[in-house]
Amino acid sequence: MSDGIKRRDFLKVVGAGGAGASMFGCSTQQVEKLLPYVVPDEEITPGVSTWYTSVCGECPAGCGTWVRTREGRVVKVEGNPDHPISEGALCSKGYSAVQGLYNPDRLTSPMVREGDDFRGIGWEEAEALLAERLQGSGGHLFLTGPMGHSMTELVDEFLATVGGARVEYDGLSEAPLREATRIAFGRNVLPTFDFAGSRLVLSFGADFLETWLSPVEYHRSFARMAGVDDHGTKGRFVFLGPRLSLTGQNADEWVPLQAGAEGVVALAMANVIARDGGNAGPYQAFLRAYDPAAAEEASGVPAAEIEALAQRFVSEGPSLAVGPGVAGHHRNATAANLAVLILNTVAGNVGRTVRLDTVDQASAARPFAELRAAMAGMDRVGVAMVHGANPAFSLPEGAGFQEAFGAAGFRVSFASAMDETAALSDLILPDRHPLEAWGDSNPRPGLFALQQPAMQPVPHFDSKQTGDVLLSVSARMGRDLGPATFFDFLRDRWRDIRPLVTADQSFDAFWRESLRKGVVEMPNRRGDAPVALRSPDTPLIFDFPALDGDGEFTLMVYPSPRFGDGKHANRPWLQELPDPVSKMAWHSWVEVNPHAAERLGLRTGDVVAVRSPHGQVEVPVWTYPGIREDTVALAMGGGHTSYGRFADGNGENVMALLSGDVEQPSGALLHLAARVTLEATGERRPMATIEGSSDQHDRPIAPAVSVTALGHGGGGEAAEEGEHGQGGHGELKEIQALGGFAPVATEGKPEDFPLEGSRHGQYDPEENPRWAMAIDLDKCTGCSACVTACQAENNVPWVGEEQVVMGRDMHWVRMERYYETVDASHSGPVDVRFLPMICQHCGNAPCEPVCPVYAAYHTPEGLNAQVYNRCVGTRYCANNCPYKVRVFNWFGFSDVPEPMNWGYNPDVTVRSNGVMEKCSFCVHRIREGQNRARIEGQRPVRDGEVVPACQQSCPAEAIVFGDIRDPHSRVAQLSQNERSYRVLDALINTQPAVTYLKKVTFHEVQSGEH
Amino acid sequence: MATAINEKERGALTHPDVKSFGQVNRDILKMLSRPGPGWWALFAVALAGVGLFFGSWFYQIINGVGVSGLMSPVGWGVYITTFVFWVGIAHSGTLISAILFLFRAPWRQSIYRAAEAMTVFAVMTAGIFPLIHLGRVWHGYWLIPYPNSRFLWPNFRSPLLWDVFAVTTYFTVSAVFFYLGTIPDVAAARDQATGWRRKLYKAVSLGWRGTDREWHHFGKAYIFLAAFATPLVLSVHSVVSWDFAMSIVPGWHATIFAPYFVAGAIFSGVAMVITLTVPLRKIFKLEAYLTVRHFDAMAKLILLTSLIVLYAYLSEFFMAWYSGEEIERSMFWNRLFGDYWWATWTMLVCNGLIPVMLWFKRVRHSIPALFVITLFINIGMWFERYVIIVTSLSHEYEPFAWGMYRPSLTEMGIMVGSFGWFFFWFLIFTRILPPVAIAELKEVLPAPLRGARKEGAV
Repeated sequence: MSDGIKRRDFLKVVGAGGAGASMFGCSTQQVEKLLPYVVPDEEITPGVSTWYTSVCGECPAGCGTWVRTREGRVVKVEGNPDHPISEGALCSKGYSAVQGLYNPDRLTSPMVREGDDFRGIGWEEAEALLAERLQGSGGHLFLTGPMGHSMTELVDEFLATVGGARVEYDGLSEAPLREATRIAFGRNVLPTFDFAGSRLVLSFGADFLETWLSPVEYHRSFARMAGVDDHGTKGRFVFLGPRLSLTGQNADEWVPLQAGAEGVVALAMANVIARDGGNAGPYQAFLRAYDPAAAEEASGVPAAEIEALAQRFVSEGPSLAVGPGVAGHHRNATAANLAVLILNTVAGNVGRTVRLDTVDQASAARPFAELRAAMAGMDRVGVAMVHGANPAFSLPEGAGFQEAFGAAGFRVSFASAMDETAALSDLILPDRHPLEAWGDSNPRPGLFALQQPAMQPVPHFDSKQTGDVLLSVSARMGRDLGPATFFDFLRDRWRDIRPLVTADQSFDAFWRESLRKGVVEMPNRRGDAPVALRSPDTPLIFDFPALDGDGEFTLMVYPSPRFGDGKHANRPWLQELPDPVSKMAWHSWVEVNPHAAERLGLRTGDVVAVRSPHGQVEVPVWTYPGIREDTVALAMGGGHTSYGRFADGNGENVMALLSGDVEQPSGALLHLAARVTLEATGERRPMATIEGSSDQHDRPIAPAVSVTALGHGGGGEAAEEGEHGQGGHGELKEIQALGGFAPVATEGKPEDFPLEGSRHGQYDPEENPRWAMAIDLDKCTGCSACVTACQAENNVPWVGEEQVVMGRDMHWVRMERYYETVDASHSGPVDVRFLPMICQHCGNAPCEPVCPVYAAYHTPEGLNAQVYNRCVGTRYCANNCPYKVRVFNWFGFSDVPEPMNWGYNPDVTVRSNGVMEKCSFCVHRIREGQNRARIEGQRPVRDGEVVPACQQSCPAEAIVFGDIRDPHSRVAQLSQNERSYRVLDALINTQPAVTYLKKVTFHEVQSGEH
Repeated sequence: MATAINEKERGALTHPDVKSFGQVNRDILKMLSRPGPGWWALFAVALAGVGLFFGSWFYQIINGVGVSGLMSPVGWGVYITTFVFWVGIAHSGTLISAILFLFRAPWRQSIYRAAEAMTVFAVMTAGIFPLIHLGRVWHGYWLIPYPNSRFLWPNFRSPLLWDVFAVTTYFTVSAVFFYLGTIPDVAAARDQATGWRRKLYKAVSLGWRGTDREWHHFGKAYIFLAAFATPLVLSVHSVVSWDFAMSIVPGWHATIFAPYFVAGAIFSGVAMVITLTVPLRKIFKLEAYLTVRHFDAMAKLILLTSLIVLYAYLSEFFMAWYSGEEIERSMFWNRLFGDYWWATWTMLVCNGLIPVMLWFKRVRHSIPALFVITLFINIGMWFERYVIIVTSLSHEYEPFAWGMYRPSLTEMGIMVGSFGWFFFWFLIFTRILPPVAIAELKEVLPAPLRGARKEGAV
């Protein structure tokens, strides 16, 4: 190769010559397009990611984020590890922020109403119009969703100059909990909860893994409690509620408590504890009325059971009780929350697992009652402005928002994309997406985080940050608020924060540090001191709440883990994400207990009319054993009519079934206050589900081990499986060995790798690591954040409802959910198994030999690579994959509407029509780690340096990735855990690189059950 | 070849209604005359099928394989089913012409030409299906080991690659064998034809004159090719079966597959020969040449292979039960009583139950009965492949990933269209080449008497 022209050199010359020719040959305009970095942006290096800290704007929990940009474009959002709430994780909604930013349905300019239509106008004209209207008579109204504190201040200052009131409204606010905390302790804060520090958690219907307060934070905290530790112990979780939500499915025991009975049961438990010496303070006498016998009468839960649970609540402590949440906001929800707080106090949990942070916080999100009061006076409002909320969709019709809004003199919406409220407005001033705008958040007393724009505004949409609009409009009206931009305003506010956090830093240094880290904390902000109960100042009823109507079923309307109250519905990633409980995507369903369904002659897929006294929706039935026979449940967030191409017409808006009444005294919107009837319409509907069978059929897919069997030679089932699983019984095993295909047994020791028979293709085990993953199923909660994180990272397409119905969803992670023990008829253990199924990167992969063109092949590092541009699409590999993790591009799914393609990860190939794809173990991240190690002085890659997207996302910290041949790596250690197993390996010798750790149950795992 | 038939065999299958060599020429070559309206009508239907076939395929290429009903976990469906079906059909031609030739089964003479043509056209049909089912058909040539600048080879471990070789080899050899056998007959046709046909036959018959020397070489070549083709009959469907048997899919991974598929192929192939020759015999009035005894012999072959196939079905179910392997058991239980029970029972009834009637001589001698029975067998054998492919894939190792496949209209269009494509060629064949082997027929006729010689011609 030394003589003559090398091919590479030849290409260089040709390339350079060609480039030169094109430079001289083309017009200057084209040269400009070809060379965008004539003067390079100092922060942009082509091919290298730039990360910005920011705050997730998707829900009020306020997770800190790291935003990854490439060549000036946002491509991914991840959790900020320095932020105490997210600690590096994020939920599916957070990952989908990229699709909010690049949503093709965002408005391209300000719009003004013309008859039934809107006309695009310029910002100049739009602001002039708003200023003119604001000059007019009447008080104005600024209706907003949850905002950062600086924005709140700005709005208040603005309203002070133009005259008007601010109403902050969050459809999912936990107002009863806040009110109960105020009544109990005299503090206007939301308590924070320490699941990790508890050993027994009781949830009275609080879905803290999905939507309740701060799901990511509580997820991690819960997993630390519920995951078994090195000593073989773990905390218990008892769920008390009518329906197993995702949170409920993660419980160890389920008390199928009737909705509305939480207060009575919690008080009876407090009664037992107080009787045995607990201090109930001013409630001591009051509690006497609630003895277990009375509670049994009211709730149907046996008194002995209540008594036992109460005693365990103390003896198995530290304990924690939470709830009820939004889905349980019935007429006595504040009382129920207060009862739970009393229970916590009596058991001595306040200050330990329940904390009241030291700083009183002015209530951020106001309850619905305030909005209702504002609506009543709407006809006197001059300009009604709506920002960050969509009440025309998220409120029940009975609340009368649409009529009230229509009565306002002039209606302005700051929605960045058309929504149901904007569609009713006269003027729309599209706000920027949080990823391209300044802001801040104050999710906890004493905790401040900056939201900084990670990119220039997406050029397709002529948007303007609402803060800037308010400043410019007030300047236009001759009432200058001072700063020229919202950024200046925000920076000024942060001058006030600095002294709270640090005494000796200059503001510039503080600002830089805050931006770098993304978050600052006041010292000693956490409230660890016990707080005593004070006498109630509000009369409360703890009894069973009244329900409207006389239907057969209690109606439960719960916030969707995917869409919340519907805000995130126009994002295909979330639409396509199978609901963690029902495993359905795109459309709505009603959850009915199989026995009740049988009684009514209904099957999954039958469309029924759900009728409440307030309205009706038609949805298909999904029979679910995890719901009481007298209850049906529906998720919010579906049935948009004017929200964009991905949301409109998918599912039903179940708010139609609600009255729009409020709970007293918190003022929260009632979610659980009606009884409904189900009536078959005679129609059937294909269900967009990814669920094949929810029964393991006695296969060793997701086995479990009981906590008592741990530490006794590998766990109860391991021994059993040794017989069943390791290639069958004695003789069969011998025959297999004779044939040379007996499964290779391994305990996962580093020196075992590479296993016999895994030296395929170019795999060179001497030179290379064996990349492997360990997934702890005792920690995995099935939340499915990894599914969306993977989709965002790897440019995984979405396919739409019709294709999901056909079974063509393309997620690289399939979150499998198997029922083992789910019984709604009485209290007892509940056992639902989750298993994130990804490509197992088998050492002895069935997919590889069958590919006729080597598109599926074994890389030198032992990974199962899929070479997309070599694939011809025979689908043989998918047929031969026992894990069914390969997905096929049946159509050109990657052809997405502009500018959604801006969100593609440039490190990962966008696949074309007709090719197979699957999990790559984030091979581009492995390369990134290896390259970094090489640049930093040829050092070896450190354990934990390569983190795949799923591991990065996991709020439960269930996933660990690394080199299994390195004895010091975490993955190698986990692989040798007594709970470790490899799915189906013992049957078919696939030698997967993914080791699962069995779920640990408190109940004995039945013989023969896996 | 002339020496191959002894007197006894000749006597066993005489064609009592065929009086002379000349009559053979007249009767057979008459079929090559100008077609009547009936033929044109059939041809129009076949052409419509060809249109449907390529139209549907084109629609799929433009849009993606997603226009089929295929999904995860069922990545193969009607396309591969139909592929295996046509490969199976392709079997009997070579079996009848080569193997039965080597075994000196004298009843083959009347039917082997049609059977061989059927083979060639069925392979031509089957060979398209692997291309149809590809996600990126425009890269289909990557399966062929051709020299390229990146030194990329196909994967010789993949059964799909073996398929490529098996099917192309089979096509080549059967086409050559078919062509070789037609040469004397084409020469006979040439001698009577005029116009373009004469030119065509002249070229195709390679100047055949019927000399002893030519017959000698012809006989040698024929017996050589017959011997060469015989192992292919067994190998091609064994290789096709390995597409399944080499995988680890429960319901596919079975050692019984190669003989099971070969028997099934002969079963379906002979059934298809009957399905085709019954109308051929009727339309062209070939009763004198395709006698009931021919059909009787074929029916016996069907009966034998039916029993083998039924045995294979039963042993599959038995082995699934006897192995104690839960996953295998569950799959076969699902095959019988699950979502696709109707397909499985169609298969069992058509292939296992209905052929039982062939035990009765009356049935074997009733041409209409045979026609109906073989139609059922054709249907049954299509469903056999459908059952093997679809029920196995839909119910594999991971219960959560089980799924249900429903064929789409496009797939059905291509499947139905493939019959149009097949009959398109077959109909042309009946008008271009003598569908019954003239020269070989004459071998089994009594030697012409002196007085009749003037009528003779070869």
